[in-house]
Amino acid sequence: MSLLQPDNEIGMILQTLFSFAFIVYLFYAQRIQAMTMLRQIEMTLRKIKGLRDEGKTTAIETINEIGKPERDPTPMVERFMEHFMLEPVSMDPAGVVGKLGSILNVREFTFEKEVEVMAPNAEPSERNNIENLLEASLALNIFYKVIRHYYLLGKKTMNIYIIMQIHMILPLILQQIEAYSSALTAFREGMPIGDSVGPIVAAKLLNGAETREVAKEMVAGEIEYEGRRVIIAKAKGPGGSVGKPGDAVTNLLNENKGKVSMLITVDAAGKLEGEQVGDIAEGVGAAIGGPGVEKYKIEQAAMEHEIPMYAVAIKQGMEHVVAPLVEPLFEATDKAVSSVKGLILDYSKEGDTILVAGIGNTVGVAQ
Amino acid sequence: MSGETSPIAGGATQNWITLAAMIIVGALALVSLYMGFQAYGNEDIEIAFMYMIIGTSGFIAIGYAFFRPKPTSMDPLKTKKFDVITTLECPQCNLKRVRAFQRGDYIYKNDEPCTRCEGKMIITSIHTRKEEKK
Repeated sequence: MSLLQPDNEIGMILQTLFSFAFIVYLFYAQRIQAMTMLRQIEMTLRKIKGLRDEGKTTAIETINEIGKPERDPTPMVERFMEHFMLEPVSMDPAGVVGKLGSILNVREFTFEKEVEVMAPNAEPSERNNIENLLEASLALNIFYKVIRHYYLLGKKTMNIYIIMQIHMILPLILQQIEAYSSALTAFREGMPIGDSVGPIVAAKLLNGAETREVAKEMVAGEIEYEGRRVIIAKAKGPGGSVGKPGDAVTNLLNENKGKVSMLITVDAAGKLEGEQVGDIAEGVGAAIGGPGVEKYKIEQAAMEHEIPMYAVAIKQGMEHVVAPLVEPLFEATDKAVSSVKGLILDYSKEGDTILVAGIGNTVGVAQ
Repeated sequence: MSGETSPIAGGATQNWITLAAMIIVGALALVSLYMGFQAYGNEDIEIAFMYMIIGTSGFIAIGYAFFRPKPTSMDPLKTKKFDVITTLECPQCNLKRVRAFQRGDYIYKNDEPCTRCEGKMIITSIHTRKEEKK
């Protein structure tokens, strides 16, 4: 027992060890913390690299399977995954939406041409799906490269503030990455996704009515509901496309010389934590996401013709937007149809013309 | 990362090092606590307090190492597998059939013959199967 007396050698060693640890921690705490965070970022980066590679492999396999190209599409896919878009300068903001729209059109055209070369034997709807699949792979590649950039920069400088920036948002980024990896399955197979709820609502309202093309990759049809004429527009399915809803709304309003009593947009909307997947909310304004060009066009057309805009939002989490459609969201489309009909009855009268636009990617949804 | 980055520490090896370090710290903390109680028994309150603080700190450090918040799990990220089902309905005889999704299926596709009547079945829904609550 004399070994364990407070004034013996072990006591001295213990005291020295803990004093040493305290001093080390006093000077190197931040460095230890930085190294711990760097290690966690590195582990995540390895996983993201795996997903990025899986995205590339899936794209190549799908192109070979569907497009039956004569030559190996790998170099083309690799080139596609490095594609970038430069946004227009906004120092002089007048006309910036038009400039952005023009750049987006060129991007779209380029992607279409690339896919046409990569998968010459694919049907147009299959080409759209391949295009979406490649875009998901491109997004995964960008995520990987940005996280790698901060990781290497942090490692090089050992600056805790650089390391912290990426470490803090890592869980949120991971959510987005997981969503994009789910999109690979959906676009490869041509399954409806969470974002398809808008086009599904439009298709349900159309209920087999004849449609015609009203803008690029946009169709519209007409039904009669409680004495009202309802024009319904959606992206042309079943290939993966969001179409040009802004152009479709503008063209339809011009066609009707502005004699439309209300415009209703139906779209998927991000839910807040605590809200249920498939909750429906009604509001005003244009329910449409994306870079803002199409939203601008809708708002502009509605303003010119003085048409009130109503919106129906179908709530879903970030993980649902590009993942295969979950059952609560499919069930929510029926509730959204009722909601649209309710808005029509509440805010229009018999003989009126109403325009309904189902916004979103129409992959796996015909009309 | 294929030569672009080198690991900070050797992955699994570091886990063993951490485990060994935790065992050593745990043993030292235990000894320290024991000495603290000994000193307390000898009514040497100051020494007892110091050893107890050291011992408790050791256990707190081990606890932190075990339960510290991690931004990511150790499991590799994998593309999720989805169990997607397609529902077909016959507009003539109202026959409803559910089957696994096949590539080429889309909502409002109508090219599958009805197994009950002469009509053609329409795909009315495609979605993932509802997860059963555990």
